[in-house]
Amino acid sequence: MNRLGKLESEQEPETAPAPVIDSLASIRDMVSTCIQCGTCTGSCPNAFAMDLTPRQLWYNVLRGEKETIFHSKTFSLCSVCYYCTLRCPRGLPLTEAMSALKQIAAKENLAPYKKSIRFYKSFMESVCRHGRVREMELMTLYFISMKSPFLPLQFAPLGMKLMGKGKISFEIPSKGNGALKAIFRKVEELEKKEEK
Amino acid sequence: MKKKIGKALVVGAGISGIRAALDLAEFGYGVTLIDRLPNIGGILSQLDYQFPTDHCGMCKMLPLVDRDLSSQYCLRKGLFHENIEIRLSTELASVKGEPGHFQIILRQKNNLVDSTRCIGCGECVKVCPVEIPDSFNADLSVQKAIYLPVPHAIPNSYIIDTMACTKCGECEVICPTGAIKIIEEVYKDFRILVVDDEFIVRDSLKEWLQDDGFTVDTVASGPEALDLLSKQAYQLMLTDIKMPGMNGVELLQKAKEDFPDLCVVMMTAYATVETAVEAMKIGALDYFLKPFDPDTLIPMVIRIYQDLEAAKEPPMEVGAIVFCGGTAYFDPAGSQNTFGYGVYPNVVTSLEFERILSGTGPTQGRLIRLSDGKPVQRVAWLQCVGSRDIQIDADFCSSVCCMYAIKEALLAKEKAETDLETVIFYMDMRTFGKPFQRYRDRAEKERGVRFERGRIHTVVLDETSDDLIISHIDYSGACREEVFDMVVLSIGQKPASGTTALSEMVGIPLNQWGFPQAQPFSLTLTDQEGILLGGSFSGLKDINESVIQASAAALSASRVIHTAGGGLNSDHIPDEPLLEISQAPPKIMVAVCTCGDLLPKLLDTKQLARRLETDPAVDLVVFLEQTCTVAGWENLVELVEKHKPNRILIGACLPYIYARKIKELGRRAGLNPALIDVVDIVHLAQGSRFKAETPSTDEISDINKELLATLGMGLGRLKWVNPAPVISVQIIQKALIVGGGIAGMTSALGIADHGFQVDLIEQEEVLGGNLNWLQRTIEGNSTKTLLKETILKVERHPLIQVHTCSSVVGSYGQVGRFYTTIEHKEKDALTVEHGVTILATGGTEAVTTSYGYGTDKAIVTQKELEQKLGDKTLKPNILGSVVMIQCVDSREEPRNYCSRICCAGALKHALYLKEQNPEIAVYILYRDIMTHGFTETYYTQARKAGVIFIPYDVAEKPRVTVTDGSVQVIALEPIIGQKILIDADLVVLATGIVPALSKDLTEAFGITMDQDGFFEEAEYKWRPVDSLKDGVFSCGLTHSPRNITESIATAEAASQRALRILSYEQMPAGRVVAEIRHSLCSLCEQCIDACPYGARILDLDLEKVLVNAAMCQGCGSCAAVCPNSAAVLVGFSDRQMLDVIDFALE
Repeated sequence: MNRLGKLESEQEPETAPAPVIDSLASIRDMVSTCIQCGTCTGSCPNAFAMDLTPRQLWYNVLRGEKETIFHSKTFSLCSVCYYCTLRCPRGLPLTEAMSALKQIAAKENLAPYKKSIRFYKSFMESVCRHGRVREMELMTLYFISMKSPFLPLQFAPLGMKLMGKGKISFEIPSKGNGALKAIFRKVEELEKKEEK
Repeated sequence: MKKKIGKALVVGAGISGIRAALDLAEFGYGVTLIDRLPNIGGILSQLDYQFPTDHCGMCKMLPLVDRDLSSQYCLRKGLFHENIEIRLSTELASVKGEPGHFQIILRQKNNLVDSTRCIGCGECVKVCPVEIPDSFNADLSVQKAIYLPVPHAIPNSYIIDTMACTKCGECEVICPTGAIKIIEEVYKDFRILVVDDEFIVRDSLKEWLQDDGFTVDTVASGPEALDLLSKQAYQLMLTDIKMPGMNGVELLQKAKEDFPDLCVVMMTAYATVETAVEAMKIGALDYFLKPFDPDTLIPMVIRIYQDLEAAKEPPMEVGAIVFCGGTAYFDPAGSQNTFGYGVYPNVVTSLEFERILSGTGPTQGRLIRLSDGKPVQRVAWLQCVGSRDIQIDADFCSSVCCMYAIKEALLAKEKAETDLETVIFYMDMRTFGKPFQRYRDRAEKERGVRFERGRIHTVVLDETSDDLIISHIDYSGACREEVFDMVVLSIGQKPASGTTALSEMVGIPLNQWGFPQAQPFSLTLTDQEGILLGGSFSGLKDINESVIQASAAALSASRVIHTAGGGLNSDHIPDEPLLEISQAPPKIMVAVCTCGDLLPKLLDTKQLARRLETDPAVDLVVFLEQTCTVAGWENLVELVEKHKPNRILIGACLPYIYARKIKELGRRAGLNPALIDVVDIVHLAQGSRFKAETPSTDEISDINKELLATLGMGLGRLKWVNPAPVISVQIIQKALIVGGGIAGMTSALGIADHGFQVDLIEQEEVLGGNLNWLQRTIEGNSTKTLLKETILKVERHPLIQVHTCSSVVGSYGQVGRFYTTIEHKEKDALTVEHGVTILATGGTEAVTTSYGYGTDKAIVTQKELEQKLGDKTLKPNILGSVVMIQCVDSREEPRNYCSRICCAGALKHALYLKEQNPEIAVYILYRDIMTHGFTETYYTQARKAGVIFIPYDVAEKPRVTVTDGSVQVIALEPIIGQKILIDADLVVLATGIVPALSKDLTEAFGITMDQDGFFEEAEYKWRPVDSLKDGVFSCGLTHSPRNITESIATAEAASQRALRILSYEQMPAGRVVAEIRHSLCSLCEQCIDACPYGARILDLDLEKVLVNAAMCQGCGSCAAVCPNSAAVLVGFSDRQMLDVIDFALE
């Protein structure tokens, strides 16, 4: 019981808020029958990099610990490999739940996930313009959105390498012909309707 | 001889089938016990040791009442009881009729070996060219296509795997007794007409069917078929559907008009299946799909043949049917997640591991790897394979896997050649049986079995070493990788094959997982009266539970037979007067079976006869050919009737199978069966068979000597047998039941419904016990209704005398005759006489001072919560958060047992609270959630409903603090590794059950309590409701913690066990019982202490030690301790034993 004893001395008991019905409710329903067996954590290829293991994350979801959940990078590290969903003995849609957490973070524009939210947004913007990703444009949009002048420098070596191999083509960012805009608008409308 | 008054059918001869059959047989009914396997014993034939004793002990189930009706022999090897007819390789083909009068037809599979002729010599195996996986060893080794289904069965007949057999005929040629018939000659008379327009179909069908001995004709069209049908009688027609001209359906219609008895089977391509189904509506028997192969077609035709044959026989009439079909086991290879089973050589199932541990297994009991023979040093068990897995629709617990995994780990540690490391990866360790928690603790603390909480998903193979790598995470989230030599998958249950078909045939419903569903509050009653469920058929159970349920099913069956009037069986044999020989000198006839011409080839029979006849007690020595055959036996009977000996010694093989024959011989010769004995000379006959063609003179003289010694020992025993008839004990055919709760009332009804008087003692003013405060079960059944109905039945029953406000103050006596004084609170005390006693004094919720109980009204027990919710003094809508703490003072010393009902009780309340007010936060702090069996699904539901479960460890229990009227619970949440604090509006403690069994009561009836104060069984697994002192039984919470339905089952089992005794006016004792020579007895009382059955008492008035012959089981402990040779065992007198020793040493 050393493990437990150590933690006890480090941390004071903290008050457990009663679980609340909120935006987490639908995710909580997804994982409600979780028995905390740990199969997901044992299977997750990215678990080593996570601050909360998936099992701990689900526990916090069940407990409605919003603070803890949205300060952890666990769900943003999910690479959607579907291992956990495949293996969960309870058949829970864990990958879907991870994505749902990502969506909440994006919708509420939470600070810890600024980078990834902006990256995703830039990605979708590029897709919307051309129907596919233009890597150069994606990165440009991303750098602009991050408003950090040093950021491009960080990526420069990787960019040079990729260019050298012809993985990235030079294309000037453009607005495109806007043919996909209608689709994106429709999806947005549908999503809004669903929310209501 | 006791009259058989009815018949029952028991389907399935596993442990519960045997128990149900024995219970019914001991009560006096005739029982037909069938099994589709060629052997009895079910799964237990493959398991050598059982938890928690790590022994076998099955023989403890052998009859104690009139025990000479049964062979007193290893029950795992065989069952022989006068009233039980065993039919193996047999299935139930049809059931008609009504409860009490079912007409049944049985279908027996032909194994191509005549079991009455097979002597088990094994010559056939030597010549058989076909090797198949050995099913007895879980396919881990190979056997021939002609094989023994289990190596230890008696009698043990070889059988042929008809699918694998190539019909080469070698075995038929070599068989010395002509027992094998590869091609059934009877099939020749079974004429089959094949109608198909395609030549190739006609031709191959003809070839296949003819190979199996059928007579086949073929035609190409409907008109031709009709023409042939009118000329020649056929039993079966196989017809194609799509044919030019007249199609199959038209042919069927026309043929049925003229020949209504003709069986027609449609052959169809996939596209015309619907037509085939239509055809079945107008009279076709069945259909099969093209393309077909002989492996499915031939068995189907044989089945049709057998059904037609069986239908010719008059159906058997039985009063009730008990289904003890057992379960099947999960197959990981066919699952979503295989854990590498079937691919990695050292991933085995738990059943395979049992075989590896067994001395008759593939490694002869050495714990080595099958892949490379390396001694095993590290083994891991993965629990819940096929159980508790919603992905594979297994939202249930298989109930036994936790315990057998611990057992296997302990056994493996014993068998291992080096230090063995054992790890069990589990989700919840379900140790819910009375002695299980201590067994687990012992395994963990004393024997070093490691328990790791966590579910393993994947096993990885190290290809260089065949080792297996398992990675798992602990609660801190740290990933650990471990390497094992062997991984054992603890496989769970699935419904026995054929369950669906059976349930459709008899009309019993199945639950959502395909297991037969019993009625509310019963483990055994189905929707069909007279059709009962026993053992694991309705869900996997350990031996203890299976045996209890089987006895309960026997009671329900017996009740149906009794209500229907019994008396079905007319083959009652009146006792014939025995010859008066008590003064006559012994006149022994010795009959030696020569096993065909085997013995005369080896022996000088004349010399042997001369040698035996030197003993003046020997009247005649005869040599007979094969007494095992009907002709041989008749020969013997004729000789006996002619020479009229007064004792008979038979030298033959397999003495155990002669029990029934001896009885019959005794009747015909007017002899007490005790005067006829069979000695085993099988090892001689077989031993000589395996030696060279022409044995040397030395060998012959050895065999002669051995044969003489064996027969001589038999003579020595027989010569001095006392011809006096067996003693019997008078039984007062009344029962006393102490405790008027649901268990007591149920057993009272069980006994009274069979026409015996019952006195039911209850200390309170009203009957009902714990049911007076319980509201409903987790399944939602009202306990109030159950209570009301049961009380009504009890109070209206003319044979039940209820004594409320009464208690037992004293009792003396023994089985058959107890005198018990009952004290009433106000009235005078009275004494009742009774033959048996059932203790059902119940139990209560334990009191506690832990977790601040008593300091605040917000801290209550589960019982108080149920009461408060019931009388609405507590309203769920005012509660914000509820914390339930499980295992309060339980599962740790001194109360180190699981109370079994608390987890389900907590879930019941949690679900109720959530249903009434979804806003309540419900926390359950638990150690292991013990939702065994199908209760598991409520655990899932509770999770779904948002109940939060937090596991805790005994070393780190939650803390409850009360400050200024507010209650807080602090618990360590291991998943996040932090202490959490919960403000609780209500804290509910599950304190478990303590029995209400007083020392005065146990002493009054001369029984013992276990260390926790529960009733101590004669044997936990095999005799679960009996006490070691015969005639005293127990049920309900006095016996062990159980829920209502399970308590009712123990009550039914106890009354069935009591009924066996009550059914006798005079209960015959066994032939081998202890006696006392009073003139030599010094009253030292050592024998009284030595007797494990409490059969001896010191009668102070007579100044004598007395033996109750009915209780004495003939173990001989008394004879061993007696310093004066005053205690003797009948049948083992000094004279007999000395003679036996003389011959053995000769």
